[in-house]
Amino acid sequence: MRILVVEDEPRLLRNLAKALREEGYAVDTAEAGDDGLYKAQNYSYDAIVLDVMLPRLDGWEVLERLRKQKSTPVLMLTARDAHKDRVRGLDTGADDYLVKPFDLAELLARLRALIRRSAGQPRPNIELGNVVIDLRARTVNRAGQPVTLTAREYAILEFLALHRGEVVTRTVLYEHLFDESDDTLSNLVDVHVFSIRKKLGHELIATRRGQGYCIE
Amino acid sequence: MIIKSIRWRLQIWLAFLLVCVLSGFGVTVYQLQRVNQFKQIDEELERRVGALDRAVRGGPPPDFGRGRPPFDGRPGEPAFDDEGNRLPPPLHGGREFFPPGPGPEMKLRPREIRLSPEVSALFEDTGSFYFAIWSRDRMLLKSSTNAPVNVSLPVRVAGANLTHTRMRDALREAFHYTELGDCVLAGRDITGDLNAMRRFAFWLLGAGGTVLVFGLGGGWWLTSRAIQPVEEMSVAASRISAGNLSERIAGADTDNELGRLAGVLNSTFARLEAAFAQQRQFTADASHELRTPLAVIISEAQTTLARERSSAEYRETVETCLDAAQQMRRLTESLLELARFDASQEYIQREHLDVSETTRACVERIRPLAHQRGIQIHCDLAPVRICGDTDRLGQVITNLLTNAIHYNKPKGEIRVGTRGENGAAIVTVADTGQGIAPEDLPHIFERFYRADKSRSRAAGRSGLGLAISKAIVDAHGGTIEVTSQPGAGTTFTVRLRVDQSR
Repeated sequence: MRILVVEDEPRLLRNLAKALREEGYAVDTAEAGDDGLYKAQNYSYDAIVLDVMLPRLDGWEVLERLRKQKSTPVLMLTARDAHKDRVRGLDTGADDYLVKPFDLAELLARLRALIRRSAGQPRPNIELGNVVIDLRARTVNRAGQPVTLTAREYAILEFLALHRGEVVTRTVLYEHLFDESDDTLSNLVDVHVFSIRKKLGHELIATRRGQGYCIE
Repeated sequence: MIIKSIRWRLQIWLAFLLVCVLSGFGVTVYQLQRVNQFKQIDEELERRVGALDRAVRGGPPPDFGRGRPPFDGRPGEPAFDDEGNRLPPPLHGGREFFPPGPGPEMKLRPREIRLSPEVSALFEDTGSFYFAIWSRDRMLLKSSTNAPVNVSLPVRVAGANLTHTRMRDALREAFHYTELGDCVLAGRDITGDLNAMRRFAFWLLGAGGTVLVFGLGGGWWLTSRAIQPVEEMSVAASRISAGNLSERIAGADTDNELGRLAGVLNSTFARLEAAFAQQRQFTADASHELRTPLAVIISEAQTTLARERSSAEYRETVETCLDAAQQMRRLTESLLELARFDASQEYIQREHLDVSETTRACVERIRPLAHQRGIQIHCDLAPVRICGDTDRLGQVITNLLTNAIHYNKPKGEIRVGTRGENGAAIVTVADTGQGIAPEDLPHIFERFYRADKSRSRAAGRSGLGLAISKAIVDAHGGTIEVTSQPGAGTTFTVRLRVDQSR
């Protein structure tokens, strides 16, 4: 899962990026509105955390322009908690709204829910045969037994499970799992998939030759 | 309560005026009518008195005092009256010096007075007129049949032989004493006339009452119309004061007294609304500025506590939290300071000081920071004595210098000057930075206003520095101004009153 954080307070930005990366997300950052808008328009993110008060282009403007092209889930982050502001945020096309100072756990939960909902998965558990993925705890069980996955392995499995039935290309996987600072090679995806199959069974992830991977 | 209402007061005044005007008018009309009526009656009576007079004197008398009319007999012949009495020969328009009338031989027997048919007709045909004639010795010579029994000889008014009138109950009488002392009287019962006049008076009263009622009704309608916009205004104003500050009173565009009043009220409400909006904005900004470092502290702490960290990571977290807390402390101090100035407490000390010394001290304190950024500070400090607070003014100058360093271009310059000019002490701080956009210039002394949003937060500035500077200068009774040329630099000018006591 790849997330864009647009926030002009550098300490908060740094901290959010760190917290999200520790949660297994790939995180891109932007400090100004125009910068954030450029990234949001040119990369595919699973969610965007957008501050309202931004230099050059404020959050409303970024959101409005982004909505003309993309429906990426957006969580607005602001220090203004006036009723009017929340309504405006949601009306402009924000998917959720959080007032500073926020609780980090709440921010993470809301982000998870946003990503899940946008993938058409309202429940926090995904069952794939005898494999159960708990999106909240980020754990995987096989036939009732917990299976330990690395953060990358889990991310790939989660992404494929959330896009169940779709063929996901390596490029898309790469785009959603590695952030801009990552310079890992794309064939590492194959290595991770091989490792997942070893832990959860070969038949879970199908390979479509020349196209990508798919969970049926 | 009713007396306090403008409408009722107007109504009472209108009623008062109407009653005055109507009663004045009615009384005048009634009096005129009465005088005319009596004049008419008196004229008729006098005509009859004249006829009687002529009859008593025998023969058609001349107008009194005018001499005789031309005699229609042949000249030289003696004239005779109706009874064959000889009349004295006529004089040429002169006054009659001898009494006409019966000769001396007729004095002994009661005079027989016969009235010509024309004279009788004057009384008998009309019915209501009567007459009485008395001789010189107060004997009733003749009276008409319809004369009241109690008709009495009127008192002779000394001197003139004019016709007089008198009133006895409802009887109007005119009388005249002839030169010989006879008295003729014509009278009339004027009960009918008096009744007519009374009716007229009632009619006048009725008409006056009707006019009064219509006048008061019209007045009520007029005052209602006049008061209605005022009432609408007061309703609108009370709605506005109840909290709906964005509402305005309608009708401010009409060019009349009420329209102007509405305009004045609207502009007052607009200023109030602006002040409230500014206050709300300030509160929102302040809360925003406090929430941001708070968010840093909380999320930093929560991230760090989520798992075991190395001591270096803990240290970094604590430093970040401390940094954010310090930012909050600076902000709360600034807010507190502004609040003190807002409460207009006497917050500054008054002491005699030399502005150039205060400025020099500030420059020396800030020079390392400028040096660090490769910025040159040039001073041109002439001594000027003022009365003020060294610490506070130092705060203003330091703030201006810090701004000049922050917003300067790399390797830029700062020129600081103090001088006395026309009784004012002037401190200028000029930088060679990127300048301030013209649209931002009017706002830069506003609280939390940031011309360049992208840099300020990173520089850890609260957005209150210039607002506080302005508050301090204002408290000194001075002014602070800014001029800027985008791309060339910005100059802040502080003017303070020169200390006159030395």
